Amino acid sequence: MERETSLEKEMSIEPIVSAEREASELFEEFKELTASEFFRRNKQMLGFSGKIRSLTIVFHELITNSLDAAEEAGILPEIIIDLKRVDKDHYILYHKDNGPGIPEDFITKVYCTMFAGSKFRNIQSRGQQGLGCSGCVLLSQMTTGRPVKITSGYKVEDKLKGVEMTFKMDVKKNQGLILDKKEVEVDSTGVAIELQFKDVSYSLSEQGAFEYIRRTMIANPHAKIIFRDPTGHKFIFDRATDIIPPMPKEVLPHPKGVTADDLIFMAKHTDKRRFRSLLTSSLSRMSNKRIDEIEKITGIDFNKRPKDMKWEEAEKIVELFQSMDFMAPPTAGLIPMGEEQIEKGMREILEPEYVKTITRKPKTYKGGVSFVIEAGLAYGGKSGRVVGEQKKAEIMRFANRVPLTFDQGSCGITEALKSIDWKRYGIRDLENAPVTVFANIVSTHVPYMSTGKQSVAPEEEIMQEVRQATMKIARSLQKYLNAKRAAKEEEMRSKIFETFVPVILREAAILAEEDVPEYDALLNKVTRKPKILEDIHAK
Amino acid sequence: MLNRRDITINKLKGLGAQIIEDVNSSTVPSVKVPSRGTSNLVYDDAKRYYVLGDRYGKRSLGNVKQIKKIAQMVYVANFSKNLIRTNKTATLRELYYVSEGWDVDFGDQQECNGVGEDLEVMLGMSREDLGLMPEEDGASVYGNIILQEGDVEINALKSGKSGYTISPTIDDVEFVDHDVKRVIAVETMGMFHRLVQEEAYKKFDTLIVGLKGQAARATRRFLKRVNTELNLPVYVCNDGDPWGFHIAMVIISGSAKLAHVNHDLATPDAKFLGVTASDIINYDLPTDPLKDIDVLRLKELLKDPRYKDEYWKTEIKKMIKIGKKAEQQSFSKYGLEYVVDTYLPEKLDAM
Repeated sequence: MERETSLEKEMSIEPIVSAEREASELFEEFKELTASEFFRRNKQMLGFSGKIRSLTIVFHELITNSLDAAEEAGILPEIIIDLKRVDKDHYILYHKDNGPGIPEDFITKVYCTMFAGSKFRNIQSRGQQGLGCSGCVLLSQMTTGRPVKITSGYKVEDKLKGVEMTFKMDVKKNQGLILDKKEVEVDSTGVAIELQFKDVSYSLSEQGAFEYIRRTMIANPHAKIIFRDPTGHKFIFDRATDIIPPMPKEVLPHPKGVTADDLIFMAKHTDKRRFRSLLTSSLSRMSNKRIDEIEKITGIDFNKRPKDMKWEEAEKIVELFQSMDFMAPPTAGLIPMGEEQIEKGMREILEPEYVKTITRKPKTYKGGVSFVIEAGLAYGGKSGRVVGEQKKAEIMRFANRVPLTFDQGSCGITEALKSIDWKRYGIRDLENAPVTVFANIVSTHVPYMSTGKQSVAPEEEIMQEVRQATMKIARSLQKYLNAKRAAKEEEMRSKIFETFVPVILREAAILAEEDVPEYDALLNKVTRKPKILEDIHAK
Repeated sequence: MLNRRDITINKLKGLGAQIIEDVNSSTVPSVKVPSRGTSNLVYDDAKRYYVLGDRYGKRSLGNVKQIKKIAQMVYVANFSKNLIRTNKTATLRELYYVSEGWDVDFGDQQECNGVGEDLEVMLGMSREDLGLMPEEDGASVYGNIILQEGDVEINALKSGKSGYTISPTIDDVEFVDHDVKRVIAVETMGMFHRLVQEEAYKKFDTLIVGLKGQAARATRRFLKRVNTELNLPVYVCNDGDPWGFHIAMVIISGSAKLAHVNHDLATPDAKFLGVTASDIINYDLPTDPLKDIDVLRLKELLKDPRYKDEYWKTEIKKMIKIGKKAEQQSFSKYGLEYVVDTYLPEKLDAM
């Protein structure tokens, strides 16, 4: 459920803590404070804390936007990113996609207005880490004071149009300030944006921008990203599949997955006339019979108008939901990557010796939020992270295909993976194995631990699924490792015979003072050509 | 009749021939090596020394873990055959270095020695028969005996104060003549020189043998030969501690490790003269307290079938009880001559 109401609430609290001032003065300020202005003062709320993290978040917002836009338009995404270093902690970022483009009139709305539209949507989405593209523009402007340049190619009645625009964000008014605008020739649809940043830093670490792209590619094998890093090196991440993932359908939230606040929000924004019709049309698994039941138990008049819903009533209803039995939520809204696509992604990026993936059946947590766990294990090749001379295992966490690169330690996925007894699966020490563990949670509502949306709450059902999924594929890996070991032993075995049989017979002949006998048949008999290896190659 | 040399060569050739024959008859060659593990050691009450039991280990050319051992074995066999043919000997250390040039290696000296022993056990021949010599010389012999070693005649009375040193190839030595009635072997060279200086060889008509600790194979072979070929009684006089006891016992009843050649090395009729726990008490000798490890060893000896005689059991238990041990040379408390003038005559009388 993508919604920013909680942030709106935090906004009203924040200025009060900052300094000792008259209340009236504060209120004056509060009235004037737009969303953009608020976040200008509190940029860490956009996820922009720390130099490395800030840049990674910028990459995330822009890439996610491009992928979403292309997929929605049924286009195979292709993104070109060029990161130039101007000075220490000062970069110019060029980001171009092949999506449907943004019509001229909407450009500043997309890039300059915070909370452009906020509606209650129960849909599986990549989601924003902060406030999307406008957050990036804000960061750019705050750190460098430079305007943003956008070139957008889009179609109007099948005619390709192009516009180039330079603008700033008017923070006080929460809208764009166009400095320059002209029509340009473009050869395809898509948006190219150029931003400058200071106080950010490009890093090859696990939390850095490069690793973010690499992981994005694993979870989005249908995308192509060409990235030129600050040293001028060009990385081409080719797509491993031509299948555009289907767009997730919006499904109605399950009664057990909503809060009183959600109900109030729905009541405010509905066009229904009564409590009754509001609930049946906004929630899944909600029949008239159920409404009657609820009405009877709570004593609330369900013929009242939604606008009149009181907080206490919403609370009472939600409380009752928890003790009622509902069918599990519909799972039509969940679009997992699928085992095949995960494997393609992992093969393309990790070039592993062995890979195994799994997509589990939908499950629910908290009784009402459905989710799907997908897992993958890659062994050998480029799997794992190189730390010094050694290969270390790496855990790649994803939520709806989006890499979670921060807060690994506090994440329920990590906790679940670490609780597995890896020794049982032939991996003596997970930390020091050339292994990449992939875990993706697909859900309309991923239970993030904090506003940073970088770690998944340790919900028992989710952890259990992560464990089950990973253990299942770990068993396959173990089989592979065992077969490999056996094949290696067989090979060594043959080698030993091939070395010693001729030597022994030569020496025995000298000892007996006789001729060396014909021993090919004997050698074949004892060597027994390794079968296991052939089996592996046959697969 | 064939001599030992020809027998050894024939046995070695037989080992090679058996492997070739197996291959020609489409059988995966294998060799049987009598097991030398402690579980295959049997104390033979009649022979009064350890012999090998009838358990065998099979080394098959078709077994990946055993094939290397066979390769090492045929190489060592060839090496040995060449030594015998050319009338040479080599030490185990030399064998180890020679093996560097082979198509199969030894991990270490230990592994090399093991293969040598395998060959001994398998063929029923001693290491010396195979031309493989120990690193160290044998004991010193002083007394009226004349030996023929190759072209050289040796008089053990005229070979200097340290006497004749027993050669590792003692089987090639012939006993030409002697004028002694017995043999007294002592643990230390200190005691050996004491006996020589006090002219014990005259007083007791004896050969004096300085063992230098645990008796080497050649020394034990020498004692066995003088005992059986010259009918001389052999007496062993060591320190009064478990280690001294055991040096004597290995001479008398053979060692467990060399069970396969004990029939050539053990001298079951040899007698232990002392120092016993009773001697410590009777002669009121200066002593050291037993250490933990001494007590532990004494208790081990009690369980060893070689010590099953009442005599040994009594002495061992007595030593544990008094908790004391004494060296041979502690008799000097009563003067340097005491051991020859008093102790030995009394002990020999008692035998």
